[in-house]
Amino acid sequence: MQPEANQFTFLLFSGAFLAVLMGTFVVAMVVLHRQRQIQNRERIEKLKTEYEKTLLNIENEIQQDTLSHVGRELHDNIGQLLSLAKLYLNSSKPEKQAEGKEYLNQIIQEVRGLSKTLNLDWVESVRLEEFIGQQLEKIKSTGHCETKLETIESFGSFPKDQKLVLIRVIQECLNNTLKHANPNLIEIKLIEEQGARKIQIIDDGKGFDTKQESKGSGMFNLKKRMETIGGKFSLSSEVGKGTFIELELPN
Amino acid sequence: MDSRFFQAFVDWYLISIDILFVLGFIYFFKLPKDKRANSFYWLPFLILTFTFIYENFGAYTNYNFEFKARVNAFLGNTEFPNYNLWLYNIANKQIKTILYLFLIKTWLEPPKKRIINWMIIGFLIITQFLQFSGIEPIYLNQPIIFAIGANMVLVASGLYFMGMMTNEKYLATNPLRLLSFWMMTFMLFTYSLTYIASVSLTYLYTNYPTLVISLFQIDLAMGILNKLILIMAIASPKFPNLFEEEPIFDTNESLDIQSSL
Repeated sequence: MQPEANQFTFLLFSGAFLAVLMGTFVVAMVVLHRQRQIQNRERIEKLKTEYEKTLLNIENEIQQDTLSHVGRELHDNIGQLLSLAKLYLNSSKPEKQAEGKEYLNQIIQEVRGLSKTLNLDWVESVRLEEFIGQQLEKIKSTGHCETKLETIESFGSFPKDQKLVLIRVIQECLNNTLKHANPNLIEIKLIEEQGARKIQIIDDGKGFDTKQESKGSGMFNLKKRMETIGGKFSLSSEVGKGTFIELELPN
Repeated sequence: MDSRFFQAFVDWYLISIDILFVLGFIYFFKLPKDKRANSFYWLPFLILTFTFIYENFGAYTNYNFEFKARVNAFLGNTEFPNYNLWLYNIANKQIKTILYLFLIKTWLEPPKKRIINWMIIGFLIITQFLQFSGIEPIYLNQPIIFAIGANMVLVASGLYFMGMMTNEKYLATNPLRLLSFWMMTFMLFTYSLTYIASVSLTYLYTNYPTLVISLFQIDLAMGILNKLILIMAIASPKFPNLFEEEPIFDTNESLDIQSSL
């Protein structure tokens, strides 16, 4: 009977042990969950702060660009127009004065246009494909290189914050291309692949060795900015074969 | 009605199951239509209804001995005609384990749901093989099948707790106010407390028959507690201050940090 009694005790203790084990497991799970919850909250807070910081930086950069643009416009365009208007209005000939008034109307239009660029409301009204088209037109008009835009009809819209980041990333990519690649053609494609919207920026410029470590933080910033809005940034390039940039947009 | 009827049907466990079923029925049909179509509510109700049916059917087999003997004879058991283990095996050890796995599946993220699907398929194949090959006849105690089922529920609960630790949606909740957490905890306790006893049932029954009856009472008490939690799940929309809403996972849903910003 002794071995049987031992077996019985073993079974009893095994059952009790399992129950205690399960109890400990559940309590440990609750405690661990609390800890993970706190860590997760901190992580989200950090991400939020980073997101807001990125947005603020981008807004600042765009405003700086806008102010430079306004400065140039005031000096090169409106200043010239005002001088002409002054000249014509001072003339004694009525047709010259009429021309001077026309210049004044033109100046009013130009100032109105400039004032609209001073805040970031235009970001909300402009569509991404429209903005890209305008940027490519500007590049083409400078005579630096040829440009080409390929887009699908239903590329969709984005919230203002995401659009701001995208605008800045695209601007930065185009600036880099003009600054370093010396291309003959810059092509931008807005496509949709397996439900994901993508922007491809392709140039036939000098290209570069991607294995070589970059001196600046430009690429890192672009990647980080895309990740902040839930997108992805990828780049491939070879010396003499141009550069291919792909921005995968958030859904 | 004769005394055998009272003996079979008037029992604290069966009466509790009947009362719990009535409560569950009332609360379930008081739910709005969209909630009734949600597996978080109809699966507990299904388990409750299924338990009510098989427990009462079990009581009926104890009342109608001729019927029980006929079924046993049909299954090839002429040695123990007073056993109704075939019903207990099919309903409690097999179908209910599958229903519990389905219930756990509703609380998991899509990749983990697939694991449960394979576990259910695996469990079905193994149990049928063990039964039809005669390794564990349907009319006798089935410790291997129980052990496999219990292990699967324990693994599934592990998946649930893993999700609770890693998933953004679960991390945003208070687990003590989640009914899925309590259901999972009680399931875990039921299966672990009855594990040793069920696996060694034959040995214990031969040597300690009175102890088996006591251990069986634990199984019954845990069963009642489990059903009580199922009713609370069904009735939870009536107590919004007491319970938090469960994270629901669509099959194609992907979670990223962007959604929490």
